[in-house]
Amino acid sequence: MDFIPGGELSRRIREGDVSAESELIRQFEPGLRVLLRRRTGGDHGLLQDLVQETLLVVIQRLRGVGIDDPQKLAAFAAQTARNLAIASLRKAERQKTDVDSEATERKPDSSRGVESQAGDLEAALAVRALLRELPQARDRLMLKRFYLEDHDKEHICQEMQLTEAAFNQALSRARRRFRQILEERGFAKRDLLNLGL
Amino acid sequence: MNQQQLIEDYVAGRLGEAEAEAFEVACLEDPELARQVEFEQRLKAGLGQVARGSTAEFVRSGSPLSWRLAAAASVVLFLCVGVYLWQRMPGAHAQVLAALTSDVQRDGPSMRLALVRGTESVPQLPAGKVRVEIVGLFDPGFHYSVMLDRLRQQHEVKNIATLYGQHPSSPVTLEVMLDGDQLAPGTYSLRVRKQASDDEALDFTFEK
Repeated sequence: MDFIPGGELSRRIREGDVSAESELIRQFEPGLRVLLRRRTGGDHGLLQDLVQETLLVVIQRLRGVGIDDPQKLAAFAAQTARNLAIASLRKAERQKTDVDSEATERKPDSSRGVESQAGDLEAALAVRALLRELPQARDRLMLKRFYLEDHDKEHICQEMQLTEAAFNQALSRARRRFRQILEERGFAKRDLLNLGL
Repeated sequence: MNQQQLIEDYVAGRLGEAEAEAFEVACLEDPELARQVEFEQRLKAGLGQVARGSTAEFVRSGSPLSWRLAAAASVVLFLCVGVYLWQRMPGAHAQVLAALTSDVQRDGPSMRLALVRGTESVPQLPAGKVRVEIVGLFDPGFHYSVMLDRLRQQHEVKNIATLYGQHPSSPVTLEVMLDGDQLAPGTYSLRVRKQASDDEALDFTFEK
């Protein structure tokens, strides 16, 4: 997919070009997911909402008054997403501190929880499939040390008597397979559809 | 710093705030980079979720040696079960027909088989291990084979067991052991043939 500079996208959207809005969504949506995933603590439902909200805010701004520096459209979208994530976090904090005696006795809304956990569940299933496929116990332990215990590569290589090349190769293999498993499960397509844009 | 290192550092939270924000803008401008980062984020999150359930999946042994041992154990188990079942099958047991190996066996029940003209009665095989005394003219310098067959209607013959290399205990006697418990009721035949010769076989019929 060709990258369309922010200046061109901004101009076309301001001129009412609907296809430019679709281009903007296709171009920015993966990056927004990365940025917001980091700020939503694994809440898949909130992540989807914030991605959608960010894209709407950016498109409406471009349709209307526009932005100061159209060349920095990506930076503007990123900052919008951060602001929305912070606002969402503040709102959640307020809800936690405003004690509502009736609300505290109500049962929690489990439907939201199911939705928010769906993304993690899918990743967990893919990880399970990946772990089952890894023939070497060493490779599974290596993933645990690297991703969960945040040990650095040098330390893991020493502990497991691996060369750095062997470590990178095993890690790269695991990443490729994980991505393949998720894609086979329709991860990429379904998440785009969930945006509903 | 190469791109993969940058992805790892971002996902692990090792980048400073300004660096992380610049990296996020780069992700917005490069959807393929963003996808790589998201898979990395999801791999880390998925591993975390699996580990919260149990860490057993990370430490289970999956070495080829263990698989080979497991496979070998399966084969041994399969053979043991097979031998056990085979031994319990009537008619397939090697010991249904055996050589006489000790004088003690002469003290138990016995059955005498002889080719006597004019005799209409058919010998009955007693239960248990039975010494069978086959009477005929035998050459002590030769080996004999003894074949146990079951006779069915319409001349159908089913071989149960065969014993080779048997020596006559005297010029007129050849002895073998039969296990009556392993034979179903019916008519049987013992065919005695001198090995490595064209002599006609001797057939003896008995019933169980």
